Amino acid sequence: MSDVYEITIWARGVVQDMEGRHMTLIMASSADKDGKFVQAWDDYADLPDRVGVPLRKYVRISDEEIEMRYEYENKNPSLVVIMDDTIVKGLNILWGMDKGGVLVVNSKRSPDEILKFIPNKDLLSKIICVDAEEEFSMEGLDFMGSEGGVEVSAVGAGISAVLAGAACHGTDNLTIDSLVAVSANKEGAKAGYESAVVKDL
Amino acid sequence: MSKKYCEKFNIPKHLQVPLGAVLPANKKENKGMITGNWRTVRPVIDHEACTLCLNCFLFCPDATWHLDEKEEKMVWNADYCKGCLICENECPVDCISAVNELEFKGGVVRLEKPF
Amino acid sequence: MAKEMFLAGCSSAAYGAMLSRVEVISSYPIRPYTGIMMELSKLVANGELDAEFVHGEGEHAQVSIAYGASAAGARAYTGSSGVGVTYAMECYSPAAGGRLPCQMAIADRALDPPGDFGSEHTDVMSARDQGWIMGWAADPQEVLDNTIMYFKIGEDARVLLPQFCCQDGYFVSHIPGKVSIPDQKAVDEYLPPFNNPHPLDPTKPVSHGPQIFPDQGPAIDLQRAQAFIDTPKVIEEAVADFNKQFGRNYDPFLEEYMTDDAEFVFFLQGGHARTARFAVNHLREKGVKAGMVRLRFMRPFPTEAVAESLSKFKAVGTIETSTSYGGAMKGGNLIHEVRSALYDVPNPPPVTSFMAGLGGEVVSLEEFYSMAKVLTQAAKDGKVDQYVYWVNFDKV
Repeated sequence: MSDVYEITIWARGVVQDMEGRHMTLIMASSADKDGKFVQAWDDYADLPDRVGVPLRKYVRISDEEIEMRYEYENKNPSLVVIMDDTIVKGLNILWGMDKGGVLVVNSKRSPDEILKFIPNKDLLSKIICVDAEEEFSMEGLDFMGSEGGVEVSAVGAGISAVLAGAACHGTDNLTIDSLVAVSANKEGAKAGYESAVVKDL
Repeated sequence: MSKKYCEKFNIPKHLQVPLGAVLPANKKENKGMITGNWRTVRPVIDHEACTLCLNCFLFCPDATWHLDEKEEKMVWNADYCKGCLICENECPVDCISAVNELEFKGGVVRLEKPF
Repeated sequence: MAKEMFLAGCSSAAYGAMLSRVEVISSYPIRPYTGIMMELSKLVANGELDAEFVHGEGEHAQVSIAYGASAAGARAYTGSSGVGVTYAMECYSPAAGGRLPCQMAIADRALDPPGDFGSEHTDVMSARDQGWIMGWAADPQEVLDNTIMYFKIGEDARVLLPQFCCQDGYFVSHIPGKVSIPDQKAVDEYLPPFNNPHPLDPTKPVSHGPQIFPDQGPAIDLQRAQAFIDTPKVIEEAVADFNKQFGRNYDPFLEEYMTDDAEFVFFLQGGHARTARFAVNHLREKGVKAGMVRLRFMRPFPTEAVAESLSKFKAVGTIETSTSYGGAMKGGNLIHEVRSALYDVPNPPPVTSFMAGLGGEVVSLEEFYSMAKVLTQAAKDGKVDQYVYWVNFDKV
């Protein structure tokens, strides 16, 4: 079995459910465009219909067909994206990560401020902060849940594109060109890539 | 689960479920369902301005406010408050304000997984 | 031109229903099938699908609405999961007995207790004897294809039976895969509008579901039973037409994987077939001659096809994913059907069953390897020691 690159995305229930799911979809579509085998899905045990509840969304990228497709969660993420910076306080967001992982945080705060809240920060080799709401306003977007349905139009119209753009700094499995091509919010993806604050640790 | 079945069927410790999936109930707080990490902002009370009207206690859907009768002040339970801010909305003297969670160092139970 | 999209089984079912031009949809939420209705409600709201969308006040109402609409001559679509499926139990026999070919999408969910939303086939398997056509898809593509095919089969004048179009909750319903969505025009050519031979019509009044005398019972039941005897031929035609029209490669009743020289096979339904194929590949790398046979229709059960296929092997292991407590073999349902089908075969292979994937547990490659160990021994001995193995728990 080949190595599967695992990405875990943390989002807030209801308000970020759709954007989180869109982020998995654009990440997977862009890697698919680059010729990889991909999988994008929501955690099945989380409660996406409760406002504010921490949710997990997952992406898997591999050079070979993904055999572990039915496993419920990413047990060994290499890249973690936090859509709301306050999540870092109440959960071990680096759960299962090996040393050398990457963290992407949607925050106005600096990487150092965020790192203060992560006791196991020695696992990280890089932290990327981007103020996605600054780059793209969430106003006017709906909070549509999916309960397993998958949107097919305007995927990645909001902050998901901005954050996924920033995440391109963290791995070779995501390329900004393919990401821009598959996102509805092309400007946002580019802005996220350009405005990201990258700090090597 | 009876010992007989556990031995016969090689059932590992974490899968030794109780008969009929009946669990002991929590008498006070349910430490298995910590919801403090649902919160992005927390309600902060100004005890000087508080009139102890108990509106926050009455309206809180998670029973996270209670009155400490000895100290004569409202006490907030950080473990379960989801930050819905109904208390802020209902406070007649506006002594509750919302502050971003990252302005505080602690006050949130750090879980390994959401559930 | 067909277009390709990333769709989970839920959305895929919704697109299948849209392409089938369903006219009445009735919904009531329960995880995991809810995604189907969420997607359909969006399609209706966006004007992409012209259908009456009715919110039932429960699953019982949902199915009643669907077969009522079918009685009026509409192509009706509904669905449910888990305890929702069992709550509507009363409505299944009237729909089938009234010969009203509505379709119900099922995304499996374990029954209570405890509260669990993982996939387990027991929910709809409890309704297998009500007279509905029933079968499982193994991936989102097959969900879309089955949705269209089932309408074609169920609405055939020789059949006129409602259909459970099933998929595993989460494994198929919630994990997006690549789905090729056919053209509306191609689907219209394949699936003509529904023609109810006895519609509710004020100008020609008819009465559905009348009271009968007890001695009329067998004759009514015989009709339904006879329809199931005619259905396999209709399925063969519908699947052949579908393959021709959309360039697919479905066998009507069984998917066989690496069976040409297999010594033993895993016999299963639904999404775990994906893992089974990988397991077979890995076992073959180690020199174990494993294969897989996947059942595509539980009702009508393809007795002849199963007997012909399985009699080639030295051992068969059914992977149950459902329960039949206290049943003849003390395990699941598949083994009953398989052993019955093999009863008249000279020197039938030994059959055993594996309880796996209950409550949504992932049937892992390791579990397949441990099942392979049992089946290798059974193929060698020509008999099985036990009719049911609880994978992970029974010592192998």
